[in-house]
Amino acid sequence: MSGVFKARNQVALVGFAHSKATRKPDRPLGVTALETARAAIADAGLLPGQIDGFVSSPLLPSTGDHAVEDGISTVTSNWLARHLGLDPAYVVGFQGIGQITGSLTLAVNAIASGAADYVLFHRALHLPPGKYNDNAMASASGGMQWMAPMGFFGAMPAIALAYNEYCQRYGAKREAMATLVSEARKNGSRIPWSAWHGKPLTVEEYMAEDMIIEPMCRFDADMPVEGVACFVLTSAERAKDLPHRPVYVSGYASGYPTKNRAMLHWTLDDMMEAGKGLSARLWGSSGLTASEIDLPQLYDGFSPFVYIWLETLGLCKPGEAHQMILAGGIDSDKPGTLPVMSGGGAIGNGRMHGVPQMLECYLQLSGRKGEWQREGLTTALACHSTPHFGGAVVYTNDPS
Amino acid sequence: MTDTHVRPVPVPDALSAPFWQAAARHELTLAQCAKCGEVTLPPDVTCPHCHTTEPDFAFVPVPGTGRVRTWTVIRRSFLAGFENPFVLVDVELDGHSDLRIVARLLDGADVPLTIGARVAVEFEDIAPGVAVPAFRLEHGE
Repeated sequence: MSGVFKARNQVALVGFAHSKATRKPDRPLGVTALETARAAIADAGLLPGQIDGFVSSPLLPSTGDHAVEDGISTVTSNWLARHLGLDPAYVVGFQGIGQITGSLTLAVNAIASGAADYVLFHRALHLPPGKYNDNAMASASGGMQWMAPMGFFGAMPAIALAYNEYCQRYGAKREAMATLVSEARKNGSRIPWSAWHGKPLTVEEYMAEDMIIEPMCRFDADMPVEGVACFVLTSAERAKDLPHRPVYVSGYASGYPTKNRAMLHWTLDDMMEAGKGLSARLWGSSGLTASEIDLPQLYDGFSPFVYIWLETLGLCKPGEAHQMILAGGIDSDKPGTLPVMSGGGAIGNGRMHGVPQMLECYLQLSGRKGEWQREGLTTALACHSTPHFGGAVVYTNDPS
Repeated sequence: MTDTHVRPVPVPDALSAPFWQAAARHELTLAQCAKCGEVTLPPDVTCPHCHTTEPDFAFVPVPGTGRVRTWTVIRRSFLAGFENPFVLVDVELDGHSDLRIVARLLDGADVPLTIGARVAVEFEDIAPGVAVPAFRLEHGE
């Protein structure tokens, strides 16, 4: 694509619902998904029968040895549509990393093209019983043979390698990450559905925590939870007749790895390099630049991702994210900052993937954030995963 | 508590078998494309450099020396069969600035490390006839 996105500000978010993000689910994931879907449809001022498009990304992101069962450990759009008793025109799923931004583009394109009028977009995350990531594999085949036999397994060591390269290169201290994580937990603690509701984390508590994969401790990884988020999208034209202020999608972009590496070998330079292309496409697509984004919401499934996104999107200079954070530059309670974790992110809410970022953009731009509403916002950005596997979406509440 | 689990062994396939055969002889090899001559690891079904669908990779031995680009100390492994803590190093092999290998550093978890530290490949024999690459700091560092 060249030039501005042709469907810029033509598709809008018009409603949402979010279940509790919980460590102790008391019903099957599919049931929670159904209830959340019905709540989102009602929130948008619609009836289930009006939904003719279903879009999602159903991945269960655990590296443990867990069975995948639709309606139990995952919820596909097909499952959801069928259990709502509907026969929609358009049902698709996104396969890949960067599930929220990736699948959202499918929803936007479906409405822009006329493939669907009202799309229910959802993400359902399951918390499997037992250990989430532990794996007692005795042999490693396929892509895993290039990692596990050498002791390299799971995403956290991969991120720790990239994060340590950042720390060594730029002199970043653990205190900066403590400030970031504490900021995420502060904002998450204010959100009723958050798994960390009422449970902020101080810088001192972070600093006292033992590292498990140096230089990372458990607070640097989002806590696995069970939970469901649903959003309703429609055209800007149809959105005019619905109860809430529409939030329009201005543009989006994804990133892609260019180097052949072992599966989870995500290097700092690979992520930063891919981010350059992603950013160029994102600003070209949305017609905006980094300095015009009022509220960036950066993905933090592992806390070091925030440094990478801040720098690769051009929200600060390369190598300076840690200093900006340490100096209070992302504090949502201070005026004049760039509060990139105001929605709590994944660290502050639990592993809902890129949902908290997307939701914060929606709530703030639609004026629905209640006690924590920020004033004077026109543009926002939500990203998910890494710049070399994920993506970013730009929103506005002013389509003029 | 003693961990009675074993470390995972690699399962060679049509693409990877020559690599693991060489590894069993304690020889580090890279996959060289028959069409463009460039090397890569892991081997893919196509060549990541010239994108030919018939790379017919030959596994060419390399010295296995390089420098540490980054590292992490694993104090709590998600895999069974490893004694914690241990160090993983991300090594850029000499002469191949794009090519990086992550493996264990065999000098102990408390060894002081810096970016650029010189390392050389060693092999860990983890099962009869099965060896996997690891690294050790070069002497004099």
